[in-house]
Amino acid sequence: MSEQKQLFKVTIDNITVEVEPGTTILNAARKIGGEVAPPAMCYYSKLKDSGGKCRTCLVEVAQGSAADPRPMPKLVASCRTTVMDGMVVKNITSDRVIDARKGVVEFLLINHPLDCPVCDQAGECHLQDLSYEHGAGASRYEFKRRTFEKHNLGPYIQLHMTRCILCYRCVYTADQVSGERRHGILSRGDHAEIATYIEKSLDNDFIGNVIDVCPVGALTDKTFRFKNRVWFTKPVDAHCSCDKCSGNVQLWMRGDEVLRVTARKDEWGEVKEWICNTCRFERKKVSDWVIEGPSKIDRHSVISQGHYVGVQKPHETVAKVTGRKPKLLMNIKNVSEVNQVDLSELKGPATSDVFKQIKKEN
Amino acid sequence: MGRKLLLDKAHIEGIRHYDVYRREGGYRSVEKVLKGMTPEAVVEEVKKSGLRGRGGAGFPTGMKWSFLAKPEGMPRYLVVNADESEPGTFKDRFLMEFIPHLLIEGMICASFALGSNRSYIYIRGEYWWVKEILEQAVQEARNAGWLGKNILGSGFDCDIFVQPGAGAYICGEETALIESLEGKRGNPRIKPPFPAVKGLWGCPTVVNNVETIAAVVPIINDGGEEYAKIGIGKSTGTKLISACGNINKPGVYEIEMNISVEEFIYSDEYCGGIANGKRLKACIPGGSSVPILPANLLLKTAKGETRMMTYESLSDGGFATGTMMGSGGFIVMDEDQCVVKHTYTLARFYRHESCGQCSPCREGTGWMEKILLKIEQGKGTMSDIDLLWDIQRKIEGNTICPLGDAAAWPVAAAIRHFRDEFEWHITNPSDALVRNYGLANYAKPLEVMPA
Repeated sequence: MSEQKQLFKVTIDNITVEVEPGTTILNAARKIGGEVAPPAMCYYSKLKDSGGKCRTCLVEVAQGSAADPRPMPKLVASCRTTVMDGMVVKNITSDRVIDARKGVVEFLLINHPLDCPVCDQAGECHLQDLSYEHGAGASRYEFKRRTFEKHNLGPYIQLHMTRCILCYRCVYTADQVSGERRHGILSRGDHAEIATYIEKSLDNDFIGNVIDVCPVGALTDKTFRFKNRVWFTKPVDAHCSCDKCSGNVQLWMRGDEVLRVTARKDEWGEVKEWICNTCRFERKKVSDWVIEGPSKIDRHSVISQGHYVGVQKPHETVAKVTGRKPKLLMNIKNVSEVNQVDLSELKGPATSDVFKQIKKEN
Repeated sequence: MGRKLLLDKAHIEGIRHYDVYRREGGYRSVEKVLKGMTPEAVVEEVKKSGLRGRGGAGFPTGMKWSFLAKPEGMPRYLVVNADESEPGTFKDRFLMEFIPHLLIEGMICASFALGSNRSYIYIRGEYWWVKEILEQAVQEARNAGWLGKNILGSGFDCDIFVQPGAGAYICGEETALIESLEGKRGNPRIKPPFPAVKGLWGCPTVVNNVETIAAVVPIINDGGEEYAKIGIGKSTGTKLISACGNINKPGVYEIEMNISVEEFIYSDEYCGGIANGKRLKACIPGGSSVPILPANLLLKTAKGETRMMTYESLSDGGFATGTMMGSGGFIVMDEDQCVVKHTYTLARFYRHESCGQCSPCREGTGWMEKILLKIEQGKGTMSDIDLLWDIQRKIEGNTICPLGDAAAWPVAAAIRHFRDEFEWHITNPSDALVRNYGLANYAKPLEVMPA
């Protein structure tokens, strides 16, 4: 075993890593992690040929390689550009990249309905994260947003075409994971849409995975539709013996109720192991599962609200400076009926009945 | 009278058919190539000629051919891009409709040079009758032994197939064309890999414009050096220009690349001046996606030199004061035309033709169209102009394929050179609905900036 693999040195935002030849800039940046990794809305490491479409991962290549140090004239899609030895990449250190990314986020949002308050994806939506991190405070778009005719994709999967950002992930998933594709992109340009050409339901053992790969709320789980907000549910890791898939899943629970089953995701929001439709849609009882324990949720996610681990609160400086405690202008519990409830202690979903009960008790 | 290399025999009756074409000296180049030249020699000859791609980008053809990867045991393909969809461009149609054998002759030579045994013509779906003409010509050539196995006993096999598209502008982009030719949705591929390495069915492929391939014939017949003598500098040979708009004689002209833009517009040999005695306001010299220029910048460069019909001279001054040769769709606008409305029309076209794959183009083109319509209807505000500028800036260069650039450039150039007219539309909304801004200062000679 004397043969040693030649590693490429690549510098991203002044941090140098060594990666294997053929690695993309995005994956090299993910190796460094943190803010250096460009956001990706369409690229999915587990899907071949994905990426290059959303343009959020654009980066500047300041030096092509050690052999040919010329910079690349245009910004490149980091998810589809492979590294060269001695390449120097600028992501968040480049003003051009920041500007272009801001533009892309604005473009993605001009026709997005922003119906987050009624969208099941809210709280785990990549577009929300993206616009929070890279977007502008307000949109300059003042025209009617585009709408589509509704398509029914069957009993399990709900399609909201207005929310779609056309990342093509679900198309690749159907091709590569479920092995059979009944939906695709119809039309072109800004009237392109995900649909089945002739009304057909998506029916395949692994087609449910399109819900997990969808970065926005365009494809959601009909069995979970309007059941609860994700940040009120508790994610736990569980498994079962399934003859179709690995059976390793994440349950989204409210008390003893399994509200939703999804695949487990890694730190980049990508599915670790594909799961089958039976696990996802049919096994909604705790007795179907062996629960392993609570899932680890990124502490920046709203899903972990109220459950921060190892959090350090900033020192209260008001008392030091003014010499007295800050004055409480209003106690919310005196005014609001809703806030009487500690939601994290509720056993089941928070419904109007809960509040009526509290009102009666008071 | 300029020399004509491609269209000199176009008006002979029956030239569309093999017998007449052969009688007039057709297929001499194939004989020359197959009987005495190596593929490398053909590529060398094209390199010597300095021929540049006639589809719009103007990349040296010989260089493109020499980039073609040649892995063992893998077929190579030549694909002719006849998906001529750029508004204002109709030169390839003329060529294919009247002298289809010239294209086929050029394709056999090019296929030999590239080692392609199956070559394709991807023709625009709307040109259905041209497709029939081409297919007939291919059949005639096949019957006469110019196509098929062992052509002229040289051991070289070649066949040509004509494939119509379904009417999408985007399929004129080479990788989208390849996807479409493979029978898939015409979405541009992400480059690299370039088609020269991984093109049609994963094999090395060269995609060339119709006119480029047709120009191979005179290059082989007369020699590359002879071809290079025509024209100025790096713009060698002749170029087909499809002139349209407010001119006396719209049509397809073959020019030697050594005449001035002024001569092209006003001489009786070419466009014959502006129609109805009007004055020239603006012109798009290379098909709808290249920047529009006002009359004063069109005839003279910012340095005060006469602008010539060459790749270099037209792009003199970069995008700030220049434009591009593009595909040769020469659109002339007189003083009665409204630049705002014109820009809106183009924006609508690009919005309709965007493939929808990448977000800046998909969303940005529609946004620009809406803002332009608003300004055109007299409902715009001054900030809309700046917003428009910002949108085009964020589309340009950030997309997978050049359609994003093609959509952004006309808007950018219109704002850059005709901002007055946009502002007039906003400040005089009721006037803008009933009359046009007119010529204004757009034809006034510019003060030459000191170098």
